[in-house]
Amino acid sequence: MKVKVDSDMCEGHGKCEMSAPEVFKLGEDDVSVVLVDEVPKALEEKVNRAIRLCPRQAIAWVK
Amino acid sequence: MTAPTDVASINLNDPELFLEDRFHEVFRILRKEAPVHWNPGGESWNGFWSITKYEDVRFISRNPELFISSKGIAGPGIRPEALAAALAADPAAAAQASGGNASIITMDPPRHVKMRRLVNKGFTPRAVNAMEDEIRQITNDILDKIADRGECDFVLEVASQLPLAVICGMMGIDQKDWPLMFDLTNKVLGSGDPEYQTDIPEDQRGTGEASRQTAMSGVFQMMGFFNQALADRRANPRENDLITILLESEIDGEKLTEGDLLAFCFLLIVAGNETTRNAISGGLQVLSENPDQKQRLLNDMSLIESAVEEILRWVSPVQHMARTVTADVEVGGQMLKAGDRLIMWYGSVNRDEDIFEDPYRFDITRSPNEHLAFGIGEHFCLGAGFARKELRVMFEELFRRFPDIQMSGPAERLRSNFINGIKHLPVKYTPER
Repeated sequence: MKVKVDSDMCEGHGKCEMSAPEVFKLGEDDVSVVLVDEVPKALEEKVNRAIRLCPRQAIAWVK
Repeated sequence: MTAPTDVASINLNDPELFLEDRFHEVFRILRKEAPVHWNPGGESWNGFWSITKYEDVRFISRNPELFISSKGIAGPGIRPEALAAALAADPAAAAQASGGNASIITMDPPRHVKMRRLVNKGFTPRAVNAMEDEIRQITNDILDKIADRGECDFVLEVASQLPLAVICGMMGIDQKDWPLMFDLTNKVLGSGDPEYQTDIPEDQRGTGEASRQTAMSGVFQMMGFFNQALADRRANPRENDLITILLESEIDGEKLTEGDLLAFCFLLIVAGNETTRNAISGGLQVLSENPDQKQRLLNDMSLIESAVEEILRWVSPVQHMARTVTADVEVGGQMLKAGDRLIMWYGSVNRDEDIFEDPYRFDITRSPNEHLAFGIGEHFCLGAGFARKELRVMFEELFRRFPDIQMSGPAERLRSNFINGIKHLPVKYTPER
């Protein structure tokens, strides 16, 4: 499954990078980017954690 | 008066309930027996649902189009009939105070995030970290003023001064105007407290009418002040100044209206000023009441970040936020109807037994601590980074310089169900030198 960060909503808190550094990286412009195309099954739980913790709720699985 | 145990008679719109700690017992009862609880309202104020469970507040916060902010975010709101009567009685004053324009806190998508993005780069973790040295300097200047006294009113002389200085600095407001900003903020956010109803004759204070007039007067004077500030920045734009940034901003190619600008200024000064003050004061109170926790922190200041989060959870300085339902929807097993008003109680969700183990225990090492003191989602507190930084730096410097500081008398609480506030907090400490 793919995951995406809404760049309008992201305000650079970095909780996603803390939860799943393999998948998210906070850029110089204070917006988080997704590092992978498809999220490996093994990282799904970490990504779910990132989705739940994001203060702006800016992350979502792409359906 | 003890807290009511009859669930049907519970009235969270009564500010008296919040004058002591009784409201926590009421929250506990509601979480257990009526987590989505209907209050039928009063003559002049609307009925509303009280939401006291963490997952329900998460659900509501994640759906800003279903639960909108543009019909108001504080309290149950005035009944249309009562509003019409108030406007008829004093149309000029009422129109003045209502403003007519929303700030981002009372805005919905899609316009909301466009407006928020005009200033949000100034509030990122990066921006906050860049101000850390300045925040530490301001903190020490404040502490210098009380250093040799051995006692003071912690709220007036310490806790309120740091957030005031930081937000005023960001908005380019001159130091001579800071006391005015402090007073007007109290009038607006503490309008229900007789201490701030200074325009009302003493024997008429404490009523709903006195509260309304106090808030209106505060808003009116605030708007007047910012009208002048806008004129000044137009004539003399400043660098790194939030007001100048707003003046020069555009949404969809258009500059902000005068109403938008005023509303934004008003939100920034009020939100930046009152809330963190109460987290700092409340933090010192709870640490004074839990000396073992305070000592733990003094012994290991690397625990400060975790302690700050626990202070935020414990104090929950913003007690509630309201929303209005736009379509019939089920929340916590209860059917809510389009048009219904609801109030999310952060002080309750931050003690939700389903989320926090032993929630009535103050524990500076609590982990995980995913409290909702700043909300979550679309309207997540813009100033959260600054609040956290100010809390951290204040307690670092306070305990570095006055490690034995503690309460020397009871806290005088704010009469409000919106802000969990302390107006006065006597403290004592060994003076420096």
